[in-house]
Amino acid sequence: ITSTNVSLSCISEMRDKLRKWREENYRNSEQIVDVGEELLNEHASKLGDDIWIIYEQVMIAALDCSRDDLAWSCLQELKRQFPDSHRVKRLAGMRLEALERYEDANKLYDSILQDDPTNTAARKRKISILRAQGKSSEAIRELNEYLEQFVGDQEAWHELSELYINEHDYAKAAFCLEELMMTNPHNHLYCEQYAEVKYTQGGLENLELARKYFAQALKLNNRNMRALFGLYMSASHIAASPKVSAKVKKDNMKYGAWAASQISRAYQMAGRGKKENKCSVKAVEEMLESMQITMS
Amino acid sequence: MAHLLLDSSIRLWVVLPIVFITFFVGVLRHYVTQLIHNEKKVDLQQVSDSQVLLHSRILRENGKYLPKQSFAMRKHYFNNPETGFFKKVKRKVIPKNPMTDTSMLTDMMKGNLTNVLPMILIGGWINWAFSGFVTTKVPFPLTLRFKPMLQRGIELISLDASWVSSASWYFLNVFGLRSMYTLILGQDNGADQSRIMQSQMTGAAMAMSPDPNKAFKSEWEALEIVEHKWALENVEEELVCQDLNFRGLFS
Repeated sequence: ITSTNVSLSCISEMRDKLRKWREENYRNSEQIVDVGEELLNEHASKLGDDIWIIYEQVMIAALDCSRDDLAWSCLQELKRQFPDSHRVKRLAGMRLEALERYEDANKLYDSILQDDPTNTAARKRKISILRAQGKSSEAIRELNEYLEQFVGDQEAWHELSELYINEHDYAKAAFCLEELMMTNPHNHLYCEQYAEVKYTQGGLENLELARKYFAQALKLNNRNMRALFGLYMSASHIAASPKVSAKVKKDNMKYGAWAASQISRAYQMAGRGKKENKCSVKAVEEMLESMQITMS
Repeated sequence: MAHLLLDSSIRLWVVLPIVFITFFVGVLRHYVTQLIHNEKKVDLQQVSDSQVLLHSRILRENGKYLPKQSFAMRKHYFNNPETGFFKKVKRKVIPKNPMTDTSMLTDMMKGNLTNVLPMILIGGWINWAFSGFVTTKVPFPLTLRFKPMLQRGIELISLDASWVSSASWYFLNVFGLRSMYTLILGQDNGADQSRIMQSQMTGAAMAMSPDPNKAFKSEWEALEIVEHKWALENVEEELVCQDLNFRGLFS
């Protein structure tokens, strides 16, 4: 039972936490529900105009945690305050989706789109419904149509790349990731994902591209361990291939060796001051050796 | 240069009231604008077109991060002589005549009503109510040309042009309080007159939409001349010449 004498600083702390989670798009729904529920039940009067956006945030988090009671009460408050809002309608649709009433949700979204054909949120929810129902090829088709009209929607490009990867259509997934890299050239994660797709596609040219983009990801963020391992793997892979010239082989072995030394360095730094350091260093060396691609 | 000593009651009863009047009228204008403002209906085609143009521009600027082939493929999609997007797509353009287009006309009228009219009314009232005396002195010297403009109602030939009447003080306030409005009413507020005047001057800049064909053509030309210079040419060499910085990875 929370006392109603919670200090004002505590309330503002909770508000700041919620705001940070909202602005940085965290998906820690359980925490949001905990903090938000307390804030809304006990201190609703002190929140001012913030309360509506907090209702929205807590409602979505509640849907994530299957708390339909909380979601319903938030939705009622929002409906009462904003009776004709498309934004609130979309939230109502999301609740129907959470209850797996996809037909009703689709009808709701269609009504929004009739009113406002440029409403991107409703279109994206319809695509999510297709995805939830497992109809990936239809979802892919709809998403492609959506992207033809809204070429700049990065969230959508990322979603499409995921769908293609699940369908093992790596060439198209690479295309989507290229779009993302182009619009966010300083984001090391897109470079790394692109490199991974290229590596998966295989073939000498793709491996070279993969190595380049792993290196770029590392350049953008020195601490991306996945990219470091990727660099090691792609460099060793190319070096072990019989079709390459001697110079290329030498270069790639150099890159691979460098990557291996950086990996060992990282593990050494991680184990500093711990007793098991010597054993883990040896384990890393063995791991690197076992990952060597041997010609088969 | 004459050093005049002004009655301190001028400060109390003229300078400050004008500031307050200007400020509150501005706030009032902001709310009135909000009340009679109607939502602009966005056309799907326009949104789509503007995004395509943005996409092409990004391709030009950041294409160097993509592999050569991907860049070529995209450039081809836009600029191919037969099937390129910019060549093929021609939008039907209905030139919007500002005199006959009703929606634009009402918008213009509303703009005039809420901004120009109050300014004229209040300027005139202040000129009538607070006339016949010098209000304040601008801190920099002005030439004699400014005298008739800034010293309405004060018929002194020998008076320095830096001494101004209350009407000029009023106009000074209108522009000066702009940042105060931003502080109190938030960005994009209806009381910001200079912003509105700017948009009236650049007038047809809003009308980028009525002529997407021209925009497409200029984008096509810009894209044609772009060459692909791969930024990743030497990325590995640059990377391996020094150790990685793991600071912050292990806490």
